[in-house]
Amino acid sequence: MKNSYLADITRGIFKENPTFRLVLGMCPTLAVTVLVKNGLGMGLAVVAVLTCSNIVISSLRRFIPEQVRIPCYIVIIATFVSIVEMVLQAFVPSLYAALGVFVPLIVVNCIILGRAEAFAGKQPVLRSLCDGIGSGLGFTLGLLLLSLVREVFGNGTLLAETNYAVQLFGPNFEPMRLLAQPAGAFLVLGLLLALTNIVFKRLQIE
Amino acid sequence: MEKLITILFIYILVDNFVLQRFFGICPFLGVSRKMETAMGMGMAVVFVITISTLVTWLIHYYVLVPLGIEFLQLVTFILVIAGMVQLVETFLRKASPTLYQGLGIYLPLITTNCAVLAVALLAVRQEFTLLESVVFGIAASLGFWMALVIMSGIRERLELSKVPAPLQGTAITLITASILSLAFMGFRGMMTL
Amino acid sequence: MSDLKHLLKIILTLVVVTAVSAGLLAGANLLTAPIIARQQEEEYRAALQEYFPQAADYKRENLEGDAFDLVYDAAGGLLGVMASTAVQGYGGPISYNLAVDKEGRIVGLRIVEHSETQGVGDVIEKSQFQQQFIGKGYRDPLKPGEDVDTVSGATISTSSLIESIRSLLTVVAENFLQLEDEEAIDISAVPDGTYRGTGEGLFDKIVVDVTVAGGRITVIEIVEHSETPTYMAEAAALIPPQIIDQQSLDVDTKTGATGSSNGIVEAVRDALIRALNPEGGENNEE
Repeated sequence: MKNSYLADITRGIFKENPTFRLVLGMCPTLAVTVLVKNGLGMGLAVVAVLTCSNIVISSLRRFIPEQVRIPCYIVIIATFVSIVEMVLQAFVPSLYAALGVFVPLIVVNCIILGRAEAFAGKQPVLRSLCDGIGSGLGFTLGLLLLSLVREVFGNGTLLAETNYAVQLFGPNFEPMRLLAQPAGAFLVLGLLLALTNIVFKRLQIE
Repeated sequence: MEKLITILFIYILVDNFVLQRFFGICPFLGVSRKMETAMGMGMAVVFVITISTLVTWLIHYYVLVPLGIEFLQLVTFILVIAGMVQLVETFLRKASPTLYQGLGIYLPLITTNCAVLAVALLAVRQEFTLLESVVFGIAASLGFWMALVIMSGIRERLELSKVPAPLQGTAITLITASILSLAFMGFRGMMTL
Repeated sequence: MSDLKHLLKIILTLVVVTAVSAGLLAGANLLTAPIIARQQEEEYRAALQEYFPQAADYKRENLEGDAFDLVYDAAGGLLGVMASTAVQGYGGPISYNLAVDKEGRIVGLRIVEHSETQGVGDVIEKSQFQQQFIGKGYRDPLKPGEDVDTVSGATISTSSLIESIRSLLTVVAENFLQLEDEEAIDISAVPDGTYRGTGEGLFDKIVVDVTVAGGRITVIEIVEHSETPTYMAEAAALIPPQIIDQQSLDVDTKTGATGSSNGIVEAVRDALIRALNPEGGENNEE
């Protein structure tokens, strides 16, 4: 039984990674990953919303009639997103300003409604909790990788705008600004997807 | 009037919703395989965004603000959008079965198209007037439609060409989108509000 | 009957879910709203303290929709003004605070909120960009490319901000610090000679040569301009004779070619200033 909880967590991170395997929730993935700080912040906000909404939806699964489940899910998700938005604004205003309209847009992140529909609406609470954490972390991992590449090469820094900021290549380094642009986001994500395709293929063969 | 035209051009070309602002990427990647479906989806989105922006704007300024309950904005907006999509679907089925056949299958997908919610939220955040909001909605969705159609045209050709195995599928689509986005960067800074 | 019951259940579920959600959000709003407000107030206070270390109190005044805080020290003496305004940038409004000391010099610039493109327009947040404004006075041109720089790739974000700062600074200087608009120039102190000066016309630079003899302006010659020829002809016919006649720059420029006229006056002023401070200007004495 313990194994199945662990499996619920790891499935979301690797086998069904939202970013690289399912290609879901692309809008925030592409938009906020200019800096690691923003990517990580968005990822953790999604973990919080996804875990909470999975728990609530799973515990209410017997009471919500089939026909109105989607509106109910949406309201539940929107509630948690609004709360996360208020908390961010109150305690991490710089992150809130950087993520902008993509914080409220977590509501329409397909991962969250997708997990509610595919998992939490049918499975017991504890398993849904694990699934929420797993998928959320998988999403965070995707954001982290993308923002790492974009910040290091597109900005020449690591963890900029935090207390641990590092200037990586010295003062004369001219960063590849393109990577910080929208076009760069598409490009890096495309290449990362190709890379994971190769990795997964190798792993399956061996 | 000048501002309306500026809004129109900015959100179709300069600040294209898909290629520059990253709204509505999921349908952009998902339904851009064929020109025909891209046209259908684009049309449905224009329809829904225009109507929902109108309704959410009215709700914000005539219900939420007077009552001082702006914190319910997100819940209300997303419910209105889901409801509007449902309404449009029902209405189309009754009023124009032919149009419904073309658009019907895309309508449920639109609820989770973040461009719809983004337009509703940004219209209020940028303090647009009602007319400006509607034009903003039309422009944003036309920009979405255009990006979708361009992409589907490219992808139809791409089907016939040899793509390295690891790049097949979404990867090559993203790289194509990157080049498209690069092209649209040429419009950068041409106009501001 | 069972249909009705089912319908009732559906409606009830929806109502309960939305009601609970509304309740939760109201609670969260109640808890976070004061924190958010206090946070913003604290940040503002901290910035105020940073720019005016002796600040003890401030008094808010409003003018044309912008807020101006007159900052006082413990003894009640005016230290300067902290102005808050917003300007339309590339991606949306940029709201910022500008701290000006009582001599009309910028002591601090603080971007409060903006929605410029990440990695491009958000250079306005960087201290390198902001630092170039520090120490600039209301008499400085604050022109992009001249004494302050825009950032390439983010020209719109940066130039609209520069433009806004310039006009805000003028408003502060004229309305709250009662500083004179222009420095009076003592023409009689100008040594004899011909001096070149430039001013900003309607379209581009206007270059003039001003000849001073015996403490009087004797000749004003327009060397270069890109104004509309007909307007420029009108301005050139009206303005230099007036200046020479009155031996003053305080002439009526509302001529129907106001832009060009102002440009000429500005250019003459520039030439005289350079004449008075030869080491300050560059390469102008001929």
